[in-house]
Parts: sequence; C-alpha cells; structure tokens
Amino acid sequence: MTQAIEAALRKRAQELLASGEVAQVIAWGSGRLTKQTAPLFVTTPEQADTIVFNDYCVNALAKYAFTERDAGKLAVCVRGCEARGINRLIADKQIEREQVYLLGIPCQGMKDRLSDEPLAKCVACTHRNPVIYDELLASEVTVPVVPVPQSAAERFAEVKEIEAYTREERLALYNDAFDRCIRCYACREGCPVCTCRECFVDQSDVGWQGKQGNTDENRYYNLVRVFHIGDRCIECGECERVCPMGLPLMTLNRKWIKDLDELFAAGEAGLTEELDNALGHYDVHDVEEFM
Amino acid sequence: MLLKNDRLPELLQSLSAEQRVYVPSNTSNTSAGVSRFALYGTGVEPDFELVNTTMPPKDLLFPQTQKMYRYGFDTEGLPFINAQHDGDEVLLFGIRSCDARSIECMDDVFLTKGFVDEFYQTRREKLITVALGCSHVAETCFCDSMGLDANRAPSADVQLTAVSDGYEVHAQTEKGTTALEAWRPFLTETAAPEASPSVPNVQCTLKVDMTGIKEKLDLMFDHPLWDEISKKCITCGTCTYVCPTCHCFDISQENKMNAGERFRCWDSCMFSAYTEMAGNHNPRAEKMPRVRQRFMHKLCFFEDRYGKSLCVGCGRCVEKCPVALDITMLIDQIGALELGAAGQPGATESVTEGGSHVAH
Repeated sequence: MTQAIEAALRKRAQELLASGEVAQVIAWGSGRLTKQTAPLFVTTPEQADTIVFNDYCVNALAKYAFTERDAGKLAVCVRGCEARGINRLIADKQIEREQVYLLGIPCQGMKDRLSDEPLAKCVACTHRNPVIYDELLASEVTVPVVPVPQSAAERFAEVKEIEAYTREERLALYNDAFDRCIRCYACREGCPVCTCRECFVDQSDVGWQGKQGNTDENRYYNLVRVFHIGDRCIECGECERVCPMGLPLMTLNRKWIKDLDELFAAGEAGLTEELDNALGHYDVHDVEEFM
Repeated sequence: MLLKNDRLPELLQSLSAEQRVYVPSNTSNTSAGVSRFALYGTGVEPDFELVNTTMPPKDLLFPQTQKMYRYGFDTEGLPFINAQHDGDEVLLFGIRSCDARSIECMDDVFLTKGFVDEFYQTRREKLITVALGCSHVAETCFCDSMGLDANRAPSADVQLTAVSDGYEVHAQTEKGTTALEAWRPFLTETAAPEASPSVPNVQCTLKVDMTGIKEKLDLMFDHPLWDEISKKCITCGTCTYVCPTCHCFDISQENKMNAGERFRCWDSCMFSAYTEMAGNHNPRAEKMPRVRQRFMHKLCFFEDRYGKSLCVGCGRCVEKCPVALDITMLIDQIGALELGAAGQPGATESVTEGGSHVAH
C-alpha cells in the first residue's frame, strides 16, 4: 500500500509544482541511515521523485504548514495526525484553509526504524484516515494493521493507572521524568499546536521560567506546556517522539485531556476546522464548581 | 599492565572510596533508553559495552547549571558576595575517544587564548580521564573521519585497551601515572607490555570526507544551501545539548527574599532568545542564521580560532535530531558543491537534499 501511495505522491507533487498550483510540497525523503526518513521540501517538479513514503515516515509534518506559511501555497501530506494538526492551525487562525492543498494519506501506522515495532504514537492513534483533505491518495483504511483504541477508557488506561497511585508514587514517577528533562524544547518545537509568537519560556523580561536546569524548573516548564496546549492537543504524539530523553509526555497530555473530557465533554481535538476547544469558548452549561 | 575482568569491580569499589568515579550506565531510566556517566555506587551498574552514552560527559566539567556566587544581605543587614567553587576529584572511567577529544575542545575554549575560566579550571584540574577503546561502533559513529581513532585517545590520562581477559592499562600523562598508583593492587604484570600493545582495529562504518570542507565554508556564508537545509530544522536544542563540545552558556540569577544566587546554565544557538540583546535587537531571530551558525561553528569558525574541528564525530546529534538534519549529510552536500566566485553556486545548478545536483 505504501508503494502505491509513494507513486501517487510523486505524481501529484510533480503535477502540482509543474502547473504552479503550489510553490512547495511538504513530504518525506530518505535519510542516510537504514530505514531513516526525514521531512522533505520539494520546490521543483524534477525533485518530486525524491519523495519517499514507507512504514518509517515517523515525522508528523503539520507544524511545517505553520513554519512555511509565508512561502506561498503549500501542498502538505496529511495522515490522520497531520490532518488534525492542520485543522487546529486553521481553527487557531495560524493558517488559512486556502493556503494549503492537502494530499490525504490513509495510514496503517509507522514503525521505529531500529526496533521495527509500531511507534507508540501510532499504536495510540484513533484516526488512521485524514479528517480533512483535498484529495485522497488511496482508499481509506478500514481494518488497521495495528488496532485503533476503541474507547476513551482504552485511550486513558495508562492515565487511570497512574491516577490510582499514591500522591508520593506519582511525585516519584514524574520527578524521575522531569529530572531527566534537558529543556531542549523539542516537545514545544515539534508540536503543531505550539504556535505562540513568543513562548512564555522566552519572555525573559517577565521571568516566568527560570533558566536553571533542575527538577523544579523542569516540572514548571512541562506542566505549563501541558496546561497551555491541553485542550487543543490533537494527540499526534510528536512531542513524545521527538523527546531525546524519553519523557512520558503523552501520558501527561492525556491526563489533561481526560480531565477536560470529564468536565466539559471535550472529546477529541482537531477533528474539524471549528474553534471547538473546551477552554477556547464559553458555554452557559459549563461546570462552575470553583465559583 | 593488565586489568583482568574479574578485578574491575573491585578496582571501581576501591577507587570510589577515595574519589567520585563516573561510569557509563543506563541503570537508572532504563525504560527511557537514556544513558549517561553516572556516579558509581549503589544502584549504578557500569555498562562498558555502550558505544556512546545518550548524554555526553561534559556536564562534569561544565554543568547544565553551575552556581557562581551567592549575594544578598546577611542577618545584620550587611551585604555579602560569596563565590562558589565546587569540584571534588573526579575519575571519568570509560570515556570514548570522541569524548576525550571533546574535552580537548572545551579546554581550548575555557583555558587558552588568555581567557581562563576559573569555574571550568577548578573542575578540570581535578578530573582524571580513563579512556576505553571502542569494541564496536554505532551506525552513527564517524570519529575516524574527523581525525580520531576509536581505539585510542591520546589526550586521556589513562588508556584502556580491551584484550581477551581484561584490559591493557597505559598511563599517558603524569596525572595518569600518579593515578595508577592506586590501581596497582588490582593489576597484573604482563610479559612484554610495551612491545605488544595488541591494539584492535575498530573502524567506523559511517564515513565523511572532510577534505576542503573548511575552505569551502569560508566562502559559503551567503550560500543558498543554508536556506535549503534549515527548512526542516525545528530549532529545538537537542543537537546542542547532546553534543559533547557545545559549550555556550547564559548567566542568570534567582532571587529569594534578601539573598540570591548567580548561576550559569547551558544555552543553545538554536534558540532565538540566545542572541536577544537589550533593547530587543536580535541578529539571529530567524531560523536559517541559527542553523548556519551551528554548523559554521562546528566545522569552520572553531577551526579558525583553535585549529581543530568542533565536531568530534560522536554521532549523538545524528542519532537524536528529531528531523534527521544530519551533519554528515551536510558535509557530503558541501563536498559535492562546486563553488563559483565568492562561494555562490554555479549558474546552472542547485543542490538538493542528499547532495545530488539538479540542472535547471
């Protein structure tokens, strides 16, 4: 299936660039190492043949629709994860729908190139088919190779497990993780939802975030990050994938998502272009237990 | 002299009673796949088969956060400033050639050209390095292309070379000779130690050709290649923080009540705030100049100032970059360029990913 998608991608990229419909195609190319791929930016029809699509396209591309937003009209490859990221960028008014041409890709989930195991983010994925696209390059995935979590209960299983810990156990678990954090901010930079022109971390005049690398400052950064994106998190898992220190960031994100789900019936983010995130609008029926 | 395998734990035990001994270990955080040089002791198992630790040993000389001085008003209302110099004797046991070279680079920065960094110097003087030749390489290792030898680290105080039943031990500096005194009870005399060093010949599989790269970079400050390669960079600081030679820092402070602490901490040229100046001027606010700066510093500017590359070929950034912005691929791309006058590309060609040329 991936081979057919790769061929279709190359063909459409070539046509879109040749006709001038788009200025750039954002896809994947090959890396140097075995089974390695990397984000690829194709600007001429001749380069379209360097596009690669296989089981190891681990990078989620949605953030590039934001970083490349001033580079003319973009064609972006969208699987479930990218599509929800694009929806979020549109809802957050970071890009216009007309700025992007979306090449939809049904996805069976990606594998880690070294272990050949499905990526954690792909095991947890609930949308194997793109939820927004201009054209679909293959027929929709109906029976995913890696099973899709069927219910919220399944999605939040790990969170529930940790909620059942004692306070001390939870503290120990997360202090161990935060202790490991090197504050490279890869989680922020890879996230399609982190689009602030100036991150609170960088507002050094205000001094929200101390520059010390220690457990307290690391905890503060990580928790504020989650608070800030929690209701818009599309659960693409890119933050956890890019983390060089293996922090369980999606578990943290899902705790927020679960709470929002319980308080506001928030559901999943990024399924439409509408601004529907729980903390982004007000409803008279919202819980007010703190008032 | 020979250190037999079965004497190694005893040696580490004995040494750690006198010094802080750091060994490569993934004992803690195993699930996260994160390894580092950890203080030998309870719960820390050394793993000398690790090719490279996830985090380099640089934090032992240049901690991510280092206290410089405390200041404030004491209980009698009198102002004080107390300098803080930490540093116990540290034995860094089992570093690879790449990490040993990285310490040479850090020494250049913090101890030469008329600038002596007292915080670095205090720790450096108390550091003893024990290098261990690599028994195998990772797919991302390319130290021998950067002029290093995976089997030997000439600047280390002591060099260990794996042999069938243990390690051959050679002191390479005065510090190393002194250090070996404490090792003596655990070592065995070998028949002809100097005559038969029996150095294994481990080679990297990843190769790059550094010929002419620096000279080309001298001309390439305004080359379009930088725009092209920087697109995929997400400007996180991973490459700089896992790099054994990246040494940029910021100085900041934390105030509590009537006292405070001045500290310095790692900073990264990949961050926009790194170059932000008073009045908000920022010469490298955009992504491309930051990406260019990092690679130029590694492969060109450091060479200008200190006569060596700031890349030691450890491959950590190659392995950890979340978007596979691979310095070895960049070196290949630069190598394949044919530069016209002033470093501009020829009129009929542009460079694509992977170093191939596409005619227009």
